[in-house]
Amino acid sequence: MSAASLALRGIIKRHGAVTALAGIDLEVAPGEFFSLLGPSGSGKTTTLRIVAGLEHADAGTVLLDGRDVTAHEPGARDVAMVFQSYALYPHMTVRENIAFPLRMGGAPAGGIDPAVREAAARVRIEHLLERKPGQLSGGQQQRVALARAIVRKPALFLLDEPLSNLDAKLRVETRVELKRLQRALNVTALYVTHDQEEALSLSDRMAVFMDGRIVQVGTPEEVFSRPATVEVAGFLGNPPMNLLPARLEHGRALVEGTTLDLPALAALGARDVTLGIRPSAVRIAAAGLPATVTMCEALGEDFYADLMVGEHLVRAKLGNGPRPAERAQVCLALDAGALHVFDRQTGTRL
Amino acid sequence: MKPSLLRSTLLLAVAVAMMLVWVFPVAWGLLTSLKTERDVLAYPPTVVFEPTAANYADIFSGSASIVPNLVSSFIVSGLTTVLTMLFAIPAAYALARLELPWKRGAGFWVLATQMLPPVGLVIPYFLLLRKIGWTDTYQGLVLVYLTFALPFAIWLLVSYFEEIPREMEEAALLDRAGRLGALWHVILPQAKGGIAVTVVFVFLNSWNEFLFAVVLGGNTVRTVTVAMFNFISLEQTQWARLAAAAMAGMAPVIVLGLIAQKHIVKGLTVGAVKGGGRR
Repeated sequence: MSAASLALRGIIKRHGAVTALAGIDLEVAPGEFFSLLGPSGSGKTTTLRIVAGLEHADAGTVLLDGRDVTAHEPGARDVAMVFQSYALYPHMTVRENIAFPLRMGGAPAGGIDPAVREAAARVRIEHLLERKPGQLSGGQQQRVALARAIVRKPALFLLDEPLSNLDAKLRVETRVELKRLQRALNVTALYVTHDQEEALSLSDRMAVFMDGRIVQVGTPEEVFSRPATVEVAGFLGNPPMNLLPARLEHGRALVEGTTLDLPALAALGARDVTLGIRPSAVRIAAAGLPATVTMCEALGEDFYADLMVGEHLVRAKLGNGPRPAERAQVCLALDAGALHVFDRQTGTRL
Repeated sequence: MKPSLLRSTLLLAVAVAMMLVWVFPVAWGLLTSLKTERDVLAYPPTVVFEPTAANYADIFSGSASIVPNLVSSFIVSGLTTVLTMLFAIPAAYALARLELPWKRGAGFWVLATQMLPPVGLVIPYFLLLRKIGWTDTYQGLVLVYLTFALPFAIWLLVSYFEEIPREMEEAALLDRAGRLGALWHVILPQAKGGIAVTVVFVFLNSWNEFLFAVVLGGNTVRTVTVAMFNFISLEQTQWARLAAAAMAGMAPVIVLGLIAQKHIVKGLTVGAVKGGGRR
């Protein structure tokens, strides 16, 4: 199995008057686990389907290992896919399901059975080979779908929200297993999800989709710690980043009627911005931004407080520090180091 | 009497009554087919009589034999069914799946052909077939039957194909089966129940058809429905033979129904499991 590289160049897709993809450019390295993350309707699944050949782009090219496959039929691309619904063939046994891509690919009859057993062993479903998909649990069906995808050793492995139909516990287990499988097989994987936790934990790199465009590409750490736009900042993290409109005046910031000294931001001059701060970076201090505590939530080790700064909700994740009471008036310290500054007009990071 | 018992008794009574209404003509026909003509005309009608197989002997051999007509019916219905399925399956699959312009309109016109009263078409068809010399030919009658059977079969099959998730054939396409392979290996096996139902209906409709068969047929192509009519003449109606012919005409359809029933039920249960929530 040789891992392939994938490149998308200027992919545009329209559905009638609606532009689903407005110019997608992407490079995925061989052996990389690459996630497409975004809210529903942002174009990530359409992108995956174009890579699979199930949909055709109105413009742009798809390159697999440098080979232009834009016009190739799905079966001629050497890609395998795991569908959200698994799409197992209900009239075939598990064995027949896994063997199907080999049979259709014209594999020699003698090689099929060992390959099926090897793939089944990889996902630990050897004991289910004679069952029909209807007799399996959701998790088992998912493994069959995985086995069917890996059995023919594709150059590229496409996964469309494969974990979304599993319950929470199984989802985390399968997530770990997926990553292990991808590493063991050394195959390039393109993974579509709207679940940021999945994308952050699985990916080597990821692309964040918004409204048919890629707004940021990077490692999970980069994307999380340096979101490129205010949308990415508001989308990532649980709870997501707090966003406050502010006016910068050469090292001072006017936030909801309070002037704060932020000399570190002096270089940004005078402009309207959106300040972002992660809930875990919010600190309660003796002086700073006045806020009212509206709700407190103790979740095991963590302590969450909902604070109103003017009309804006700020969620704070407080550790072992002082824990405020509900309806208390407190002050929030904004450390320049923990602040993310975005241009108010364009939403881009400054 | 408890209300639930009353309810089930009433339901049973209604069911029995409906069954009797349905069974009576068939049972009466069966009895008549075993009577002599004299017993048939006895008044008041009798249910106690000495059964005779003479009527069956008459219709299966001898001058009044309907065997050639049964053969005719088999050829016409068989050809109609095979040709219909051959064209209807790809057409219905295309209508169910491919993004074609005018798809909706085409679907409507397919169905609209079913709305025309057949009697209005029989004279034009007769004139057309006579023009090309196809009256009293198998190809002529089958061609006309196709104009009814095809739209009906397409309309029926489209709904079965639409129920199969698109991802099934997308998976098959990625598994290198190609469009035809996906249809053959993945879609058709799952539509087996629907195909069986369609085959039964198409065969049944052309087997039972009378109007077109009597007008467009003749001495060469005379189906069993038309042949039965021969037992009714101005001077005399041969009720017993007519009944025997009717029984013989019904038998193949019943057998077909019994064979297909297994597939039909199977098709239904496959759907039930899929919708059963264990995904």
